[in-house]
Amino acid sequence: MTRLLYVLAAAWHGFSRNPFMSVASTLTVALMLVLLAFFVVTDRGLQSAVALLEQKVELVLYLSDDAKISQILDLRARVEKDPAVSRVDYVSKDDALQRLKELAATRADIGPIEEIGSNPLPASLEIKLAKAQESRRVASELRAEVGGGIVTEVVDNPEVVDQLLTITRVLSIGGLVVLGMMLFVTLFIIVNTIRIAVHARRDEIEIMQLVGATDQLISAPFVLEGMLVGIFGAALALLVLIGAAGPVTTSLVKFLDILPVSLGPNFLARLAAGVFGLALLMGAGGATISIRTHLSR
Amino acid sequence: MITLEDVSKRYPNGTYALRDIDLHIPAGDFVFIVGSSGAGKSTLNRLLIREELPTTGHVVVDGQDVARLRRSKVPLLRRKVGVVFQDFKLLPTKTVYENVAFALIVTGHDGTTVREETDRALALVGLLPRRHHFPRELSGGEQQRTAIARALVMRPKVLVADEPTGNLDPVTTWEIIKLLVRVNELGTTVLVATHNAEIVNALRRRVVHLDHGRVIRDEREGLYAA
Repeated sequence: MTRLLYVLAAAWHGFSRNPFMSVASTLTVALMLVLLAFFVVTDRGLQSAVALLEQKVELVLYLSDDAKISQILDLRARVEKDPAVSRVDYVSKDDALQRLKELAATRADIGPIEEIGSNPLPASLEIKLAKAQESRRVASELRAEVGGGIVTEVVDNPEVVDQLLTITRVLSIGGLVVLGMMLFVTLFIIVNTIRIAVHARRDEIEIMQLVGATDQLISAPFVLEGMLVGIFGAALALLVLIGAAGPVTTSLVKFLDILPVSLGPNFLARLAAGVFGLALLMGAGGATISIRTHLSR
Repeated sequence: MITLEDVSKRYPNGTYALRDIDLHIPAGDFVFIVGSSGAGKSTLNRLLIREELPTTGHVVVDGQDVARLRRSKVPLLRRKVGVVFQDFKLLPTKTVYENVAFALIVTGHDGTTVREETDRALALVGLLPRRHHFPRELSGGEQQRTAIARALVMRPKVLVADEPTGNLDPVTTWEIIKLLVRVNELGTTVLVATHNAEIVNALRRRVVHLDHGRVIRDEREGLYAA
């Protein structure tokens, strides 16, 4: 009990002894956490935007005019078996013509379709992919069919797919790098704050070591002080986030109207818990680094 | 209580602070460690509380080989060996009482023990009336008595005093030495490293003379110089 009181009092004393430093590091930690949370939200939005775009990746198989229905159904069944394929739609010659007519009605540069006597458009299978990165493989497998069966041509969009994949990769790697740097800066700030606190109390620490206090007891107030910086920083960051959550969510939903990105209460609660847990962990971790470095000298 | 066997301490720069020391100090002994500056007195003290490790040999305190002690066990050794320094090492923001109680609090004693033992130690050094004063309000002798109370409050088996009277005038020096003799009479083994020939010669206690890291003299009722 006496020990616990000592640890609590010493931690609070340490935090309040140097208010400028404590407030400065608390603010910096809060700022870092706000940036981090904002970044997580943005990254999540972008990731779902890319995911949505990935769903739009498709291949088109043009079919010869003399293909029989049974052959087409057979081909469709084979294509659907591929796990990378999410869906296959059959577009008949008539459907294709109908689409062209609809398009022509909205565009002046395409002449009146009615003047064409026969239907020159081929029937096709439109393949939607579940995994955009499989696009090249699926396309090349289907190209092998050209000439042999009813497939006359395979059309895909390798550049678009590659760009999409690059964006996804840059987002996730870049995200991790930025996140890592922010965590490092936060840790650095806490380590330094506690190092200053340790330095300010080095005489006390020396006496504690001389009279036979354990390393754990000597460390405890500093670890707690680091956690205080983390907790106050997280609380401040959460206040800012709660204040900003409404307007930001609204504008994000407006901006990313079509996106299936969920920024509902569940996501925000997990984000808040994450921010808090991270702040505590960094506070305790940073402080432990500082005091243990001092004690092991 | 304390046994040094073939102990040498060599610093990384190659100089020997202690060389081939064999020393046995039984429980209840009162020993003056004398010798000029740099003879190795402070190094000897630091070995006893494992602030430093011997380069070779064994330092045994209360049956334990100090060098073999795990880091986590060092605090337990230090609770058995109280230390007092020339510069007192008191915390200026704490009162006399708080300075002494601090040792008990940070070693995990409960509130009742802290109060009772702190009062006992302060009574022993005669500082109960000054308990609420801060170190800056005390004389040098009173500050040193506070430091001795802080060491004694742990009820150590050994009290090591490194030049305890180095900063004190002759009258106060005698006060402190008498206090250390009293502590010894109450059963604590006492080691006093000192330059002060007058007190060594007056007390006629065991004298261990160090010179350039070696024991050159060890007499039961010795004088400062041979």
